[in-house]
Amino acid sequence: MASIIQSLLNWLRSLFFKTEMELTLVGLQNSGKTTLVNVIASGQFSEDMIPTVGFNMRKVTKGNVTMKLWDIGGQPRFRSMWERYCRGVNAIVFVIDAADHDKLDAARTELRNLLDKPQLAEIPVLVLGNKNDLPGALTVEQIIETMNLKQIASREVSCYSISAKNQVNIDITLQWLIKKGKGK
Amino acid sequence: MMSYSKRDEDSGRIGYQHYFDKTTILQEARVFNESPINARKCRALLTKILYLISQGETFGTTEATELFFSVTKLFQSKDSALRQMVYLVIKELSTVAEDVIMVTSSLMKDMQPTSEVMYRANAIRVLRKITDASMLQGLERFLKAAIVDKNAKVSSAALVSSYHLYGIAREVVKRWANEAQEAINAKPQSAVSAATSYVSSFGNVPATYTAVSNSNIVQYHALGLLYAIRQKDRMAVSKLVQNYAAKSGMSGSVLRSPFAQCLLVRYACKVMEEDPSSTRAVYDLLEGWLRHKSEMVNLEAAKAICEIKDATVKELFPAVTTLQNFLSSGKPSIKFAAIRALNKLAMTQPAAVAPCNIDMENMITDQNRSISTFAITTLLKTGNEASVERLMKQISGFMSEITDESKVLVVEAVGSLCIKFPAKHHVMLSFLSGALRDDGGYDFKRAVVEAIFNFVKYIPESKEAALSHLCEIIEDCEYSKLSVKILHLLGVEGPKCPQPTKYIRYIYNRVILENAVVRGAAVSALAKFGVNVEDEAVKKSVKVLLSRCLDDADDEVRDRATMYLNVIKSGDEQGYVRDDSTYALAYLERQLLNYVSNPELADTPFDLSAVPKISRQDEQERGAQDLGITQSLGARTSTPPQSGSASNGSGARPAVSTTPSLDQQAAYAQQLAEIREFASFGPLFKSTAKPVELTESETEYVVSCVKHVFAHHVVFQFNIKNTLNDSVLEDVNVLMTPDNDEVSLVERVLIPAPQLVYDVPGVAYVAYERTVLEEYPECTFTNELKFIVKDCDPQTGEPDEEGFEDDYQVEEVSLAIADFVLPSYIPSFTRAWEELGQDFEVVETLALTTSPGLQEACRDLIALLGMQALDNTGTVQGSNVHTMTLSGIFIGGIRVLARCRMTYDSATGVTLQLAIRSASEEVSLVMIGAIA
Repeated sequence: MASIIQSLLNWLRSLFFKTEMELTLVGLQNSGKTTLVNVIASGQFSEDMIPTVGFNMRKVTKGNVTMKLWDIGGQPRFRSMWERYCRGVNAIVFVIDAADHDKLDAARTELRNLLDKPQLAEIPVLVLGNKNDLPGALTVEQIIETMNLKQIASREVSCYSISAKNQVNIDITLQWLIKKGKGK
Repeated sequence: MMSYSKRDEDSGRIGYQHYFDKTTILQEARVFNESPINARKCRALLTKILYLISQGETFGTTEATELFFSVTKLFQSKDSALRQMVYLVIKELSTVAEDVIMVTSSLMKDMQPTSEVMYRANAIRVLRKITDASMLQGLERFLKAAIVDKNAKVSSAALVSSYHLYGIAREVVKRWANEAQEAINAKPQSAVSAATSYVSSFGNVPATYTAVSNSNIVQYHALGLLYAIRQKDRMAVSKLVQNYAAKSGMSGSVLRSPFAQCLLVRYACKVMEEDPSSTRAVYDLLEGWLRHKSEMVNLEAAKAICEIKDATVKELFPAVTTLQNFLSSGKPSIKFAAIRALNKLAMTQPAAVAPCNIDMENMITDQNRSISTFAITTLLKTGNEASVERLMKQISGFMSEITDESKVLVVEAVGSLCIKFPAKHHVMLSFLSGALRDDGGYDFKRAVVEAIFNFVKYIPESKEAALSHLCEIIEDCEYSKLSVKILHLLGVEGPKCPQPTKYIRYIYNRVILENAVVRGAAVSALAKFGVNVEDEAVKKSVKVLLSRCLDDADDEVRDRATMYLNVIKSGDEQGYVRDDSTYALAYLERQLLNYVSNPELADTPFDLSAVPKISRQDEQERGAQDLGITQSLGARTSTPPQSGSASNGSGARPAVSTTPSLDQQAAYAQQLAEIREFASFGPLFKSTAKPVELTESETEYVVSCVKHVFAHHVVFQFNIKNTLNDSVLEDVNVLMTPDNDEVSLVERVLIPAPQLVYDVPGVAYVAYERTVLEEYPECTFTNELKFIVKDCDPQTGEPDEEGFEDDYQVEEVSLAIADFVLPSYIPSFTRAWEELGQDFEVVETLALTTSPGLQEACRDLIALLGMQALDNTGTVQGSNVHTMTLSGIFIGGIRVLARCRMTYDSATGVTLQLAIRSASEEVSLVMIGAIA
């Protein structure tokens, strides 16, 4: 009996103090979405990843915030499905490979297409330039420039340059994300 | 709906108080997107979806896709019962929804060894539903590991999935044979834990589920997969069987699962089917399995032995003994299986089953009606004349208690019994007419009617009684189809009876009382009386009756009446009423299609004389084959010992062999029509019925040839199969060299087979034009394959870049006169013979030194002339003298007839006087040249 009351209390407490939020990670293939999720969830970096076929779902608890991370495959055949998983989330995280200059054009187009969807209006977007440990990686300013981020007016847009491998700027990314959860 | 809600307490209150349909469910699907997820609610909704699908509700692509993507959101929940429902729903939606590949990653995560067994096994099964051949490469590693997983549930799931995937990605799955083998040989484990986790959420699922996982079912699945992979390779299959059969002989057999053993029995039978020389060895194996400790295996083996073709009573004995023991088993299912097997055996080998008679007598009163029905029908086949009456009485006792299917069985048994014991026909007829008065569906009534037809056909003394029974049936028959059938038979048989008038009354009643379809049939039947009855008074009254039909409300009935009246008046009865031939419909259809689609032919009338005819009997036999009921027909006709029907059976053989070839020809014609180079050749005249084998079946390359004859061209189709799995052939040409340089054939088209990979047959064509149309070249070609060989990498199966040229000699093909003749049936040889007259008759007398007897001479003549034997003259009746009449259509639509008078003398062999008549002297001469 005591344990039942205890668990009830726990549940009530969690209702008051716990925030649950949903995030969707998209971006072209090989930009490091699944790796980033692993780093956020377990702090582990692993070099050798297989492409995500479809999506991965991870739940991560940081303090009293529980984040549901939808990590969607970036191969062309999955891009049309991004929108379905972005509807109603607290924030969209768009990951780009800052060192792969050839794919920046494609990334810009895909981001534009995604944000044009009326269903996704006003959802905050965080653009992450991943792999800043590699030589030739773009800086934050360059990313904002090439991705035309300044022209996005109707919603909140932020941009960080990170490295999942060296765990650079992962902390400020998390802070930004958690703020979105609480702000709601 | 109510019962469903009662059964499944856990998944909520569906169908309870509130009604639901697709629209409400699609709306409610919003709960899947809620956060946090309410597992209970979602599960209830998923259950409803499954329920709707099971009720036959269908979802459109958009609906299903929307639903599918909502459902994928549920992968976030850790509730295992919910996950199970998610798996099930995804499986159902996988065939309709788009982009189902989306869940691949999630499922792969679930099937990792770190997941719970429930997740793993089910995820694998779902995975195979949503994946496609292109994804399989990436999954291969995981599936291979799952096949050899220690856990039986996981292993089984992976094996079954591989089995299904084999259909879409043969080459990939082929590489998993080693894993499958390992799964068979794996040591048994205490496999209780596996099932329990699956069962957990359903709580009260019966304990049998646990038992299944103890039954080594993995072996069954693994053996199935191994066979699927190897089935094309006869040697490998036979090795597979030998391997596992041999091991089972020793102390601990490898195949612990009785299901796997049964599978092995079936594969053994396949080996025997394909390689008759192995019959002895397989029989020994089967006999050994009769003593296996599992009843299932004993039954399977016994059934297999019973189905061996031409097994002797002695060989059947052990199987029958085993089945006999099972007859006294306490388990109804075993009893049923045994009696059913015996029943089937009794159709062909009643003597072998007779020792079980006493056991079967005891089963007549079995509470299980299915068992007692089989017991009685078997006894009817094995019993003697004295017991028939008693048995019939017993069946009549419970006819009303059994299902329609069983009734059909009984009726069919009685129908075949009439042939065996004609003396008892009155008992059986009264039984059948009694049965007709019972309630029953169309199939049952049809079976009765057909049984009575048998009486008419085989037992002359019962004919009149049977016909009057039939007359009674149509007086009160609710099935128009049956009425039409019976009316037709009355029309055929009635006029031959001593008192035809009494049938006319019954038939005319139909004209007054029935619907248009039956009325039409009745008019046709009446007309047959008008034509075939000799009595002038009858003829006159039929005419009166027919003229009354001229006022019928239905067009068809009026038309028929008008036509028949005119036919009777003009006296041209032969051609219309008595003609029992019909066109080969498949061929006719093809010719008509060609005629309609070819604008150049629009000015000329369609040439019906070029279409071969077949007798109605052949047409019916063909229809019967299509329906797959020849087995019972065959069993029936093979039982009667009377000479009449026996010779009928064998005489029909050449005819039967030509008719399916016409269907085959239709298939060829379609194939050829798709080839651009042959488009100008016009319609196909003839294709050889059976491909000629140009190699032994065990050589590296197996080649067979089919000849297609067109109006001016001859196309040789070479079917080539590469049986070497380590090489690929490219650009395969056939080089044909005629043995006679002066022959009027010019090679026109050469189409090589572009690529021949292992075990996939390919086709190469060579087309010749006949430059001199008046010549029908007879000539033999030597053939050589020319191609480029590329070796394959043994690991990847990829062919090398570089290849080398090679050639391969195959056997000869010859073109003969018979290739220019289409066998064709005509109803009356004598009349056609007279009509053609002696103008272009050619007669020659020859000594057939190569034929050792008359029957062989007939066979050779039919083959040489390519014609159809008429009126069963293809079978020799007498000993020393025989006349065979043949009919065919020569290329260009010229009718050819042949009369072969043969005498046989042991000193000189067969002497033949061959007379050929046709509408053209040239054709007659060419035809006679085929023999000389």
